[in-house]
Amino acid sequence: MIKVDNVTVGYGTTAFVKAVDRVNLTINDNEILGIAGESGSGKSTLMRAIYGDFSTGLRIASGTITGRFARNGTGAVTEAESHDFGQLWWDQISYIPQGSMSVLNPLMKVEKQVVDGLPKRERQGNRAELRRRIATFLEGFGLEESVLDAFPHQLSGGMRQRVLVAIAAFVNPRLILADEPTTALDVVVQKKILLMMVEIQRRQRNSLVLVSHDLGVHYQITDRLVVMYQGKIVEAGPTAGIFANPQHEYTQTLIASLPRIDGTRAEARR
Amino acid sequence: MRLLRYIAGRLVVYALVVVFGLTVLFFVPRLGPTDPIEAMLAKVASQGAYMDASQVDALRQSLADTFGLSGSLLEQYWAFIKRILLTGDFGPSLSMYPTPVMELIMNALPWTFGLLLTSTLIAWVLGNFVGLLSGWKPESSSSRVMEGVAICLYPIPYYILALVLSILFSYIWQIFPLTTTIRGAPWSWNLVTSILWNSFLPGASIVIVVFGWWVISVKAQTTALKEEEFVRYARLKGLGDGRILARYVLPNAILPQITFLALQIGLMFNGSLITEILFDYPGLGLLIYTAVLQGDFNLLMGTISLSVIAVATATMVIDLIYPLIDPRIRHR
Repeated sequence: MIKVDNVTVGYGTTAFVKAVDRVNLTINDNEILGIAGESGSGKSTLMRAIYGDFSTGLRIASGTITGRFARNGTGAVTEAESHDFGQLWWDQISYIPQGSMSVLNPLMKVEKQVVDGLPKRERQGNRAELRRRIATFLEGFGLEESVLDAFPHQLSGGMRQRVLVAIAAFVNPRLILADEPTTALDVVVQKKILLMMVEIQRRQRNSLVLVSHDLGVHYQITDRLVVMYQGKIVEAGPTAGIFANPQHEYTQTLIASLPRIDGTRAEARR
Repeated sequence: MRLLRYIAGRLVVYALVVVFGLTVLFFVPRLGPTDPIEAMLAKVASQGAYMDASQVDALRQSLADTFGLSGSLLEQYWAFIKRILLTGDFGPSLSMYPTPVMELIMNALPWTFGLLLTSTLIAWVLGNFVGLLSGWKPESSSSRVMEGVAICLYPIPYYILALVLSILFSYIWQIFPLTTTIRGAPWSWNLVTSILWNSFLPGASIVIVVFGWWVISVKAQTTALKEEEFVRYARLKGLGDGRILARYVLPNAILPQITFLALQIGLMFNGSLITEILFDYPGLGLLIYTAVLQGDFNLLMGTISLSVIAVATATMVIDLIYPLIDPRIRHR
């Protein structure tokens, strides 16, 4: 559904800084795709380019990113380049940011922030009806209706992140991009959020792209994994396959560095 | 319950601030070497009136009673606080004897309030509007022009601007009156136009300077807010510029401005002084000026006590309405 064709992305016009270097990637329908890599590997930049967010001075220097979206129900197909994805935001494509303290408007109740992003056709009409639908949707993921009346500062970090996942999923999009959604949360909460995202993907049968530096997260939920290093994709394939038999040296080091419960104890190097 | 505690807390702080201010006001004049009673007696003696010693003592005693200067310091203090807080009585004015100080203040207060409140609010609304837009689109040429204008305006001391306006528009081009003369029957249209006419220049001198400051401060707010994650998130949700500005940037930018507004309204009592003197505007500032020049001790105490109370009240009122506009305070 999304085709990234030999794309080079970077910042700046006069002095162009390459962040993503000639990348090829396909995002299929009904899958969870993980993008792994260290800080500065280009994974967030690639995600922004796929989302079509060029507000930060991002520029596609060569190659194309194209999308093909079949609308739920009608099956009407929209084809577009990522430069024009803006009109599909919170309709066909949505986005889960890292749920830091300041990602929700501190002066707005959660309900309003859910409603705010919805396409016009959803926002018009009966507000009480809409609220009931949102509440039912949230309850499906163990969030009480009272969350809708809360201000962001009244929610815990985990709650806030789950709200962000819910806001992105409520519009029933074909593609959800999640940028480090579980970073800075403890593992118990992390697990809850990962399960919530898997649940949503299984129900909506759409595509979820998960960007994270945490291989453990990828291991738990992704179907397919892409490992980036210095702006290039160094390895791609089914997640289980990569973990069982990493080909690239960088991936091998990454996987070797994960603590194993059945591993042998090694002395710390002095 | 929590809200009640918040309100009670604010009221206690308010009372403490007022009492503290009045206390300072009580002690500061007493630290000086001048004794108003002796000064008064000397004035009487210098005018050639002859009094024998017992008459002088009687006068001294009656003046001390009138001024609240009899008894020990503590008794005086207690009487002073009680008199002001309970009865609002500052005694008669000395320079306009026997008109009570309170009456003079009450005559002047509507003028000061009318002039300063109106001009401060106009400047606040205009300044925030312009600042918000120029912070939102800092690259556009109109924002740059507005910013330039604001930067030129805000460092000008308002009395200099008042003087310049007065010279330009009532001396060189005689459009507006040089000094304030209000004409017209009470509650008539003539009176209203006369007030507006006479208040225009003093008002403008305040609006123009304060406007520049609001533009600069709200512009800085807006520029910072634009980079906030929640604004970026709203943009990525596909919200249009108008909605982001109205619902995400404006409410967050305006919050601190409301606090500043309260402080401004409190401070405007001092700010009004020279403006009112320059334009001969019959407000509190002019009254304070008269009191200082004439050595009218009661009037001075009265006007200054009132500004202490006004500043404290303005701050308290803002503190009380703040929870209504900021949920983070309301639900703490």
